[in-house]
Amino acid sequence: MKFNCLRQSLLQVVSLAIICTGFAQVSHAGVIETSVLADQEDRATHIARVEVLLASAEVARQFEKLGVDQALVAQRIQTLSNTELLLLQEQMDQQVAGGDALAVIGTVFLVLLILELVGVTDIFKSI
Amino acid sequence: MPALFIFLSGCASIPPHIAELEASRASVELVDTPFFPQERYQCGPAALAAAISSSGIEVDVQDLVDRVYLPGRQGSLQVEMLAATRSVGRLPYVIDGTLQALWNELAAGRPVVVLQNLGVAVIPRWHFAVVVGVDTERDAILLRSGVEQRRVTSLKTFLRTWRRSDYWGFIVLRPEELPADVDRQRYQKAVAALEKAGRTEEATTAWKMAISQWPGNPVALFGLGNIELSLGNDPEAEAYFRAVVERDARSVAARNNLAIALARQGRYAEAMQELSIAREDASDPAIAAELADTEALIAELSRDAAVPD
Repeated sequence: MKFNCLRQSLLQVVSLAIICTGFAQVSHAGVIETSVLADQEDRATHIARVEVLLASAEVARQFEKLGVDQALVAQRIQTLSNTELLLLQEQMDQQVAGGDALAVIGTVFLVLLILELVGVTDIFKSI
Repeated sequence: MPALFIFLSGCASIPPHIAELEASRASVELVDTPFFPQERYQCGPAALAAAISSSGIEVDVQDLVDRVYLPGRQGSLQVEMLAATRSVGRLPYVIDGTLQALWNELAAGRPVVVLQNLGVAVIPRWHFAVVVGVDTERDAILLRSGVEQRRVTSLKTFLRTWRRSDYWGFIVLRPEELPADVDRQRYQKAVAALEKAGRTEEATTAWKMAISQWPGNPVALFGLGNIELSLGNDPEAEAYFRAVVERDARSVAARNNLAIALARQGRYAEAMQELSIAREDASDPAIAAELADTEALIAELSRDAAVPD
């Protein structure tokens, strides 16, 4: 419980830090970012500032959960475009991670396949 | 085992427009592309290091690991590969997923970072590598890959492993370079993202490249205006936003930012006038909210100016 509280407040600090960096970048409330115009041609609606802030906070939370050093999270968020942030916010799990790792499920499958081929199991036989 | 057979052999053929190369294309190989042998799970940073240093920037692979590696996923995401490229002031540009597009970039001297699935759909093994050459005589692709400095893969195998990432690949551009096959919208988005990442100087150069390619390009003019605004050069910003408005009188974004540039020069009445024109054309509620912010900002600036010190 205590840990949860601590975690929650840490998250708030990180979110706030990111939000502040975001504003510092734009330098003034009211200035419309260039990406708004660049996205306009194939996007029906403009991505609101608040959406970007929420996405930044959520992606930051997920990055931390996936083991990114807290000090690096804000830098990594800052270089993502607004559409990339929204993409990660919505479907980080479905995004492919290039790293040569064999998925656990894949490894299990491979073992089963070998067992099947050498005749130890009969799992894949259609009935 | 019929079910298994379908799993393992379920490879459709590669569409011709992806695999075909225009006739008389010679072999090409960028032999000078640096090589960074990868550590475990670090094909992303290694591939990125090769492409970035090939563009003329010295990089430390460990810095890139800090930028793109996700321990919980034992790998790196595509969008973070692009983001990390921006962090060093280079412009990442996703190319068309065809052999011809690969060849065109190589011929222009740029290696291409690609995402491959070296496994199969059910046992994926996602891998970033750098294409440094196409051998048209032997139908082979030359790569910096993993711990192999010069991996030769048959074209057929390469295309099959590349297909699983929807033929995803990108180049690392210096700000003064345009891609071999440039798509205007994609390029504009790439530069806007570089600008948002805070690489003002490089974004300025890239926007000027855009204007040389597409004279009067409104997004580039708008971007240059925003950069001037962020540097506090309000008269220069004003000129750029006016240039956008001249080309597109209904550009709400340009009028909004023009209003800010004017207000910052103490020209509040003109600012309010631009804002009221913008309001007539603003149909998107999110944009309307921005206009309200701008109005508040102008009011604040004029109030501050009215108060004697």
